[in-house]
Amino acid sequence: MPSRRRVAITGLGLVTPLGNSVEETWRALLEGRSAIAPISGFDPSGFPVRIAAEVKNFSYAPPPPYRKLLKYAARHVRFALAAATQAIEDCGQSPRPDNATRWGCVAGSGMMANNFDDLVRFQRCFAANGRLATRLLFDPAAGMPDPIAYARNQPNAGVALMAQRFGIRGYTGAVHTACASGGQAIGRGLRLIRRGSADMVLAGGFDSMVNPIGLAAFSLLGALSDCNDTPSRASRPFDRTRNGFVLGEGAGFMVLEEWESARQRGARIYAELAGDGNSLSSYRITDSHPSGDGPIQAMREALRDANAQPDEVGYINAHGTSTIMNDRSECAAVNAVFGLHARRVQVSSTKSLMGHLIAGAGAVEAVICALAIHHSTLPFSANLEHPDPQCDLNFVRDRPVQCRLGLAMSNSFGFGGSNNSLVFRNPEDVRQ
Amino acid sequence: MPVAISQEDIESVFPQVARIVAEALARDPSEIRPTSRLFADLEAESIDLLDIVFRLEREFDIQIPRGRIIEDARGDLPEAEFEHNGVLTAAGLERLRQYMTEVPPENFRPQMNLADVPSLFTVETMCKMVLRAKRAGA
Repeated sequence: MPSRRRVAITGLGLVTPLGNSVEETWRALLEGRSAIAPISGFDPSGFPVRIAAEVKNFSYAPPPPYRKLLKYAARHVRFALAAATQAIEDCGQSPRPDNATRWGCVAGSGMMANNFDDLVRFQRCFAANGRLATRLLFDPAAGMPDPIAYARNQPNAGVALMAQRFGIRGYTGAVHTACASGGQAIGRGLRLIRRGSADMVLAGGFDSMVNPIGLAAFSLLGALSDCNDTPSRASRPFDRTRNGFVLGEGAGFMVLEEWESARQRGARIYAELAGDGNSLSSYRITDSHPSGDGPIQAMREALRDANAQPDEVGYINAHGTSTIMNDRSECAAVNAVFGLHARRVQVSSTKSLMGHLIAGAGAVEAVICALAIHHSTLPFSANLEHPDPQCDLNFVRDRPVQCRLGLAMSNSFGFGGSNNSLVFRNPEDVRQ
Repeated sequence: MPVAISQEDIESVFPQVARIVAEALARDPSEIRPTSRLFADLEAESIDLLDIVFRLEREFDIQIPRGRIIEDARGDLPEAEFEHNGVLTAAGLERLRQYMTEVPPENFRPQMNLADVPSLFTVETMCKMVLRAKRAGA
């Protein structure tokens, strides 16, 4: 039987609250700089939570033939286009007419597809007094939101615009499984290459819920930290004093490539994307199962998929949101999957510095795992002074750790019970 | 029936129309000429035409009823003699040619689909649309 196609990660791109490139984000992570600050994108006065991790000093200007794409691109889609551009440039290849159908694009997105400003305009124009005034819909005097608003608010706007921008003509898909979206999108990319549906896949995730509806939604759920006076300390996954997560925004993309062709062209391979595991907890909408049920199956499946044993994993980039429920459930799951090795495997949550990027989180953290392998450096969990006794793992605290990694794992768990784990392998360890 | 539109009339609105077309299509304003065809020359998509019309309505505070060009061009010709199953008749094509004087005559192809009429639109067509809507609303 022919051996299974392997998948190389050959291009990376990031737009995060910590920086608008891979280098800036990575440097800020290692220096432990927090991106969490008072919200500046809108006036959060009156909200119980007034802090977030916003992308800063961001602009995206496509080359002139593609300028019109901006018309359809909301802010979070621009994050995606910018991060995807970095990933494509980094891999040194881009789709050509003769191979465009062998390129795919999968993106996790859409926890909130509707652009807040468009919703506000719609409401102001057609339902100012709370009742829908249909007769105003086509009355220009009412200040109709432009017809493009519809296109701008489609959950698949991101993949559609990326496919246009880069000339990708193969498999495309938009994945939405709440906070597991980014990880599941990358996992989909792995499967596409393995089964021969594509040779190269632009895969990642993007999101922004840093807007009044997103902030209101998570505030009402009581899921956010309200440490408004100490924003850089607000996100403290696994610490016994943690009191919720911090909203972030941004995008992470990677170029996945069939291993042998990447090798033959001499591509820089950051890591092998070796395993993908998904599960659905089938438990509750927003609660994690205290036993870790759900995440356990995702992690085991990812390891099985990578033909790996738990004790080969050197680092876990935890979902680690900084909510009591997630952190305890995730630690229970790690203990269940890793057994005695749970005492040794090093764990950190980079959400401590950049907040929670929602549908983009899994993708950004997958990029971080690839970087951790590439640089033999583990980013640390900030603000972890007093670990919760129920979170008894070997955390990377206070400073990064230099450490050659064989395997790394990234976890992403979402509302609704969707779970994803990805396993990455050091390219030096790949034996065909 | 068509109202006479002079060259001066066209020139009076062209700068604003050109700016709006340039914005909607993310093009440099210097690329926009009265004779530029929206689809073939300026690479508009169908949704861009809607966008341009909405922007013109806002800019000039006018209403441009959708499909007005076709209705005005048909004039008193009965619909059955203007088009058949979505294809313009010879008489229909002639009416359209008389109405859209800004479009080079050779662009009106026999057996043309009604749905393809927007492919004839030039920037000057949009100027005339604005002028007619202004007069209708005045």
